Amino acid sequence: MERVQPAALKMVKNSILKGRVAHAYLLEGSRGTGKREIGLLMAKSMFCLTLVDGYKPCEVCLNCKRISHGNHPDIHLVEPDGLSIKKGQIQLLQEEFAKTGVESQKKLYTIVHADKMTVNAANSLLKFLEEPYPGTMAILITEQLQQILPTILSRCQVIPMRPLSPELLEKKLEAAGIDANKARLVAQLTNNLEEALEWSRDDWFAQAQKIVVELYEVLKKSPLEAMTMLQEDWFGHFKEKGQIDRGLDLLLLFLKDLLYIQLGTTEKIVNLGERSRLEQHALQTSGRRLTGQMAAILDSKRKLQANMNPQLLMEELVLKMQEGSSFV
Amino acid sequence: MRFIIQRDHLLQSVQDVMKAVTSRTTIPILTGIKIVANEKGVTLTGSDSDISIESFIPREEEGSEIVEIKRSGSIVLQAKFFSEIVRKLPTDTVEIEAGENLQTVIRSGKSNFNLNGLDAEEYPHLPQIAEDRVFSIPTDLLKTLIRQTGFAVSTSETRPILTGVNWRVADGQLTCIATDSHRLALRKASIEAGGEETYNAVIPGKSLSELSKILDDTTEKVEIVITDTQVLFKTKHLLFFSRLLEGNYPDTSKLIPAESKIDVVVNTKEFLHAIDRASLLAKEGRNNVVKLSTIEEKSVEITSNTPEIGKVTEEVATESIEGGELGISFNAKYMMDALKALEGSEIKISFTGAMRPFVIHPVNDDTTLQLIVPVRTY
Repeated sequence: MERVQPAALKMVKNSILKGRVAHAYLLEGSRGTGKREIGLLMAKSMFCLTLVDGYKPCEVCLNCKRISHGNHPDIHLVEPDGLSIKKGQIQLLQEEFAKTGVESQKKLYTIVHADKMTVNAANSLLKFLEEPYPGTMAILITEQLQQILPTILSRCQVIPMRPLSPELLEKKLEAAGIDANKARLVAQLTNNLEEALEWSRDDWFAQAQKIVVELYEVLKKSPLEAMTMLQEDWFGHFKEKGQIDRGLDLLLLFLKDLLYIQLGTTEKIVNLGERSRLEQHALQTSGRRLTGQMAAILDSKRKLQANMNPQLLMEELVLKMQEGSSFV
Repeated sequence: MRFIIQRDHLLQSVQDVMKAVTSRTTIPILTGIKIVANEKGVTLTGSDSDISIESFIPREEEGSEIVEIKRSGSIVLQAKFFSEIVRKLPTDTVEIEAGENLQTVIRSGKSNFNLNGLDAEEYPHLPQIAEDRVFSIPTDLLKTLIRQTGFAVSTSETRPILTGVNWRVADGQLTCIATDSHRLALRKASIEAGGEETYNAVIPGKSLSELSKILDDTTEKVEIVITDTQVLFKTKHLLFFSRLLEGNYPDTSKLIPAESKIDVVVNTKEFLHAIDRASLLAKEGRNNVVKLSTIEEKSVEITSNTPEIGKVTEEVATESIEGGELGISFNAKYMMDALKALEGSEIKISFTGAMRPFVIHPVNDDTTLQLIVPVRTY
């Protein structure tokens, strides 16, 4: 952790050492950057019975162990119930905090995905954040800082997390025995080591990669067949929203590689396994068209998040990516 | 840990502590019951973090052995399964053994259960009690105290502190106050205090009603210990812990009018029934309003009028009316709650004006008091 998030840890360490712990922190950073770990570390530092060097939790005392297992009665965790954090959940939290601590005078709550709070929930939390009971501490965790209400933001101390570098993850993956070609590709798609490992061992993922390359080739050869290919292969394989999103990411990376080859920066290529094919394709397209196609993919990704019908979405994308497009 | 125990004693204890265990908890270990065995006996603990109940089974009682401790130790077992298992075991003795890796074996007759346990170290620690800060009151009085004040706590979470009952101990007297800012219930009782200490705590109304359910109607003493974070009620083999509410309870002494202008004495039952009847038509209307007006210093008239339904009028004879004429409107439900909580066949209602709160208490008894804020009508 110290290597991955030195700045964030230093901030936390200094505030504990100087006894100036704020009543609310907002941990912000993209997926897999270790926000939860830092939140957990902070909780342990607050409750640990035998701190090492005055700020590091010992990880062996009763309180540390119980926090790791989610069994400490004075620590509360709020996670989205379904798609959002509802007002009732915040109210339960408030009820809980109106009472004295079970074991100590200190209490701590963590809200994961704080950006997913409904407006009502956020507003009831606001009151709570404004007038904290003595000895309470809040840790809010979010991936999207912009979606937090400014009124909440102004009441928290924000700790930004540095995004993980794909190179670092790639090395870790290779150390875990993943094939170098695959490691590079997966490292581009996620920041989370666990997830990356899972994907690189997943059959689904290898298959997905193949389908994406095929789609591109079919598009080039005979655009009309692309629609049937979508029905035959694509939708059978990419069923859920998350899967389609990943498929689009793969397609995007593929196009990026083509661009890299054209620009001569071949060391950045991600799809190492497809290198020969990539070089061939790169000769047959132009940088301008590639950027146009990439823009279309990014646009589709955005629409996917807005819950567009996946079938219509993919069909629209395929039409847009065809030769002489721009009629859709 | 290994011990052999009489099933009926174990069953009773499990049922007691199960009252504190809920399935909807966010802390995984609280779904379990903690079992601790040592030389003195076996202790079971259940908790939902708001309240915790601890039940103690002594090694022997009145000469007969209940528990045979083979090896002391502790374990946490899933409450849902453990309680069902204990209830359905075939013979009168049960052997419980916790071995390595938290594996627990429950044997009774020829049946043999293997349960995965949880680490007892991880169970929340209940506060250690200093024995000298104790005061005690009889069980039945405690139950009355709870019954007479608990109903008046607020159910809205906008002011969390009002969802509790304020317990104040000073000069050998316990004062319980509950209010939801529309009405107030107060009960005083003398206690046997261990020391000169004074306490001021706010106990959640829910915890008190749970406690009331567990206690039997006996005159045995309940020992009460109030600490900074928790309150403990201690009976012979049962410990009941509850968390307190954080914050300062509002000062209620100024709310209660010191003097009264108009005093009405009525028979409790007759008055209660009259209000009940009047509220039949009032329920549909807003605020459940009924109106009380005095008639020539000998009786009171209770009316309720909801134009779209109808109107009710009833005259109730009074023992005495002093101080003059009055017409006042109030919430019938609050009045009925208050009347039900009061003891004594006759009650005195003291008014200071149509827009001022009024006080109800039994004649010749100033330990209980109910206060209701009137409703403004046009």
